[in-house]
Amino acid sequence: MYGYWGKILRVNLSTGEIKTEEFGEDFVKKWLGTRGFGIHYLLKEMDSKVDPLSEENKMIFSTGALTGTTAPTGGRYMVITKSPLTGYIAMANSGGFFGAELKMAGWDAIIVEGKSNKPVYLRIEDDKVEIKDASHVWGKRVGETERILTEEFGDKHVQIASIGPAGENLVKFAAIMNNGHRAAGRGGVGAVMGSKKLKAIVVRGHKRVEVIDRSKFISVVREKTEKLKNDPVAGSGLPSFGTAVLVNIINQNGLYPTMNFRYGQFKYAEEQSGEAMAKKYLKRNKPCYACPIGCGRVNDMDTVGETEGPEYESTWAMGANLGINDLASIIEANHLCDDLGLDTISTGGTLATAMELYDKGLLKQDDLGDAPPFRWGNTEVLHYYISKLAKREGFGDVLAEGGYRLAEKYGCVDCFMGVKKQELPAYDPRGAEGHGLGYATDNRGGDHIKAYLISPEILGYPYKMDPHDISDEKVKMLILFQDLTAVIDAAGMCVFTTFGLGADDYRDLLNAAFGFNLSTEEWLKIGEKIWNAERLFNLKAGLKPLEEDTLPKRLTDEPMPEGPNKGHVVRLKEMVPRYYALRGWNEDGSISEAKLKELGLEEYI
Amino acid sequence: MAQVKFFATLRDITGKREMEIKNVKNVAELLQHLYEMFGDEFRKEIEERNMILVNGKNILDLDGYETKIKEKDEISIFPPAGGG
Repeated sequence: MYGYWGKILRVNLSTGEIKTEEFGEDFVKKWLGTRGFGIHYLLKEMDSKVDPLSEENKMIFSTGALTGTTAPTGGRYMVITKSPLTGYIAMANSGGFFGAELKMAGWDAIIVEGKSNKPVYLRIEDDKVEIKDASHVWGKRVGETERILTEEFGDKHVQIASIGPAGENLVKFAAIMNNGHRAAGRGGVGAVMGSKKLKAIVVRGHKRVEVIDRSKFISVVREKTEKLKNDPVAGSGLPSFGTAVLVNIINQNGLYPTMNFRYGQFKYAEEQSGEAMAKKYLKRNKPCYACPIGCGRVNDMDTVGETEGPEYESTWAMGANLGINDLASIIEANHLCDDLGLDTISTGGTLATAMELYDKGLLKQDDLGDAPPFRWGNTEVLHYYISKLAKREGFGDVLAEGGYRLAEKYGCVDCFMGVKKQELPAYDPRGAEGHGLGYATDNRGGDHIKAYLISPEILGYPYKMDPHDISDEKVKMLILFQDLTAVIDAAGMCVFTTFGLGADDYRDLLNAAFGFNLSTEEWLKIGEKIWNAERLFNLKAGLKPLEEDTLPKRLTDEPMPEGPNKGHVVRLKEMVPRYYALRGWNEDGSISEAKLKELGLEEYI
Repeated sequence: MAQVKFFATLRDITGKREMEIKNVKNVAELLQHLYEMFGDEFRKEIEERNMILVNGKNILDLDGYETKIKEKDEISIFPPAGGG
């Protein structure tokens, strides 16, 4: 087979058994890769109702169809498992170099099952796979873990996906990190790895990923790479200022969530913008594998030395969302989150929830003792509580459960700004209502990256849509974005390519790699199948659509108090029923039998 | 007097973060004025694609380049940009 090896590694940490399984082209045509492969195995082999942190939960580390090839940005992998944060599907995506290395070692995916009774890591050198003792790195931070395991392997080209103390301590929003600062971040996948006592996967590969017709593939890759390089966003905007270029854009558009989504503009946004960061701290750009964009930032700080990021999301999560105006503290906090193995969005969202509770007098200083007060704008909160929550020390133990459980504990669920118990990212949907529908219906809860409607509603790609239009055209655009993103994810490519490439371009790359002749519609159908299969997993796990495909009350009932979107709410109730209908689902949000049949999902019910 | 704000690469080209401007009736006139002031480099950066906001609202959701500019309006001009 081309593009893939047709080989899956199955590792059972309870028994120590290591097995190889094979798949063929039909499996690729059915599920494409990453999220597709992952959801197939979870639906086939696991009861969706299992405790996410029990040995019954499985984790799939999967490459995508073009991972390890020369396709632009074709280096990504995903971790698919049941989330301890949401109780639903988690599919966390990461760049860097780990995914490509895994493919080059001859493995398309790894299924991790069971639970070890002592810390271990998985060592993969091409066909040779071993479960090794990890006692000496248990408790270590990500940077130190990578350094020790690289030294132990004796090859500086080795790639490592690992957890930090946060994952070990089962923090519900712990990430899996690779290349120091690249995160399979959301949904608490790091906690699942920690529950299995799996500290790291260390991989080195020496094989070349083959495509069916190398010269034809190279010419398609060249064409698409040129398109990206000539695109003003992918070729110029993102490399110059990184994702944080959005700080000023989103703030000026009036949907930059400020102080736990109370407001849509932050007075000090300029001081923590991509422009400010580039001027003060940027040392160089750092691209992921095979990436012509290179949005990654290497910043230099007196306090932490060279570090990467923060991205737009992290800048916001630990800045405006907390009312914090100190870029240096934000960069340091981002570095700390990476090293401890934490999702920055959920970390910031949880701290924002605490600030809201403190402000309302529900969380009292007595509850915190001598620890810093959760006052808006208090930079002390960052370093102190991030360190505490990763270790579950003191009040950190409460924070480690995430914003929803924190808000619930103090009697104010509405203080939590999230969906399906996952903290929302950096766009107030009262300024982009279609994006709000995206939050409400995302299979992994509060999330922006599985259907980025900010593109048409604010940035104007592929064309500009009015952010307050909630017509069927908008709902259909959301569905298209959800399905297309599933294809891009499963292809192992980065969603930032969408600024320069369209659906036909992904079709061309995939067909050229595999020698298939599928139409754009056929590839999108695979995306639709993945989306529906993930929804099916959630429904089987107990999702109550009419209660949970929703947004925090603040966004649906409290008009934006000021700025360009003053007076707007998200008219979610007017959109959700049409979304269900346009998806071909039942009125109660379940998937209709006809849709399951059309997508070939009956065998997974 | 309206306030014009520049972002991203436009700051290097203009050497400014913001400026005041008088006697322009709409966005098209404003751009013409800025092209004359900052030359081809500025024009090239935003001619094909851009994001222009008047008081935080995208001109594509208003009247495009015909969008009127009034006293005390704030106009934000971005080169094409994205992220996530």
